[in-house]
Amino acid sequence: MSNFRYSQKEAHPNKTNTLMTGITLLLILLVSIQIWLLYSALNNALTDNFNIALGTFIGSSVLFIAAAWLLRYLPEPRKPKIKE
Amino acid sequence: MKEEKAGETPQWKNDFPIDKEEATHVSRREFAKFLTLFSGALALGNGAIVLKSIAFPEKELEGQHFICEEGQVPMGEMLQFEIEGDKVIPYILIHLEDGEWRAFEQKCTHLACAVIYRKDLNLIECPCHKGYFDPKTGVVTQGPPPRPLPQLEVVIENGKVFVKAKSHKA
Repeated sequence: MSNFRYSQKEAHPNKTNTLMTGITLLLILLVSIQIWLLYSALNNALTDNFNIALGTFIGSSVLFIAAAWLLRYLPEPRKPKIKE
Repeated sequence: MKEEKAGETPQWKNDFPIDKEEATHVSRREFAKFLTLFSGALALGNGAIVLKSIAFPEKELEGQHFICEEGQVPMGEMLQFEIEGDKVIPYILIHLEDGEWRAFEQKCTHLACAVIYRKDLNLIECPCHKGYFDPKTGVVTQGPPPRPLPQLEVVIENGKVFVKAKSHKA
């Protein structure tokens, strides 16, 4: 049966490259949002704003789960050629 | 001892077939995994802030503290004092020119430099990065500080100046 992984292995290297770039860019975006959330949490924790600390923590965790889930779609490394 | 011929791979390279180039190369897969690891670290850091605010909530100042006699601080002047608790916090007591009294934490909310009251400008100034606060309310009027200065309530009793925690947040 054909599935995502099978199609990905069969794909042209150009497609794999595009996928890889897309994943990297998405990950950078997620991490940037998390940095912003952490900055807001730090600033608000200093004025005893607990709800913002909790909200940003939940948001940051969701973004981390999304980042980990994106790794599923990383193209598999090319197998090294076995030397004779 | 066997001599190595030029161009032939030495035996040790066959035993440890790792190229330096391969070992130092960071592939795009590894970079993506590193970004995810960093994302996890940021989420953990955010969790640490939540845990800290649950485990160690900021304590309000308890009771009323004597600072000085009313006559010790002329109008338009300030007095620096400290209150010892879990940690020593520096404050400034300001006798405003309209006769009112104010007390603020002396640490600037930007990078914790010591703030001073400028009589000529009628503003509280942070000399490090030119942040200015309103001496009546403590709110930021100019510059980089992100939050108002924490404020204490000033109580005058029989010519003596006391401070206590503010009953409501400004």
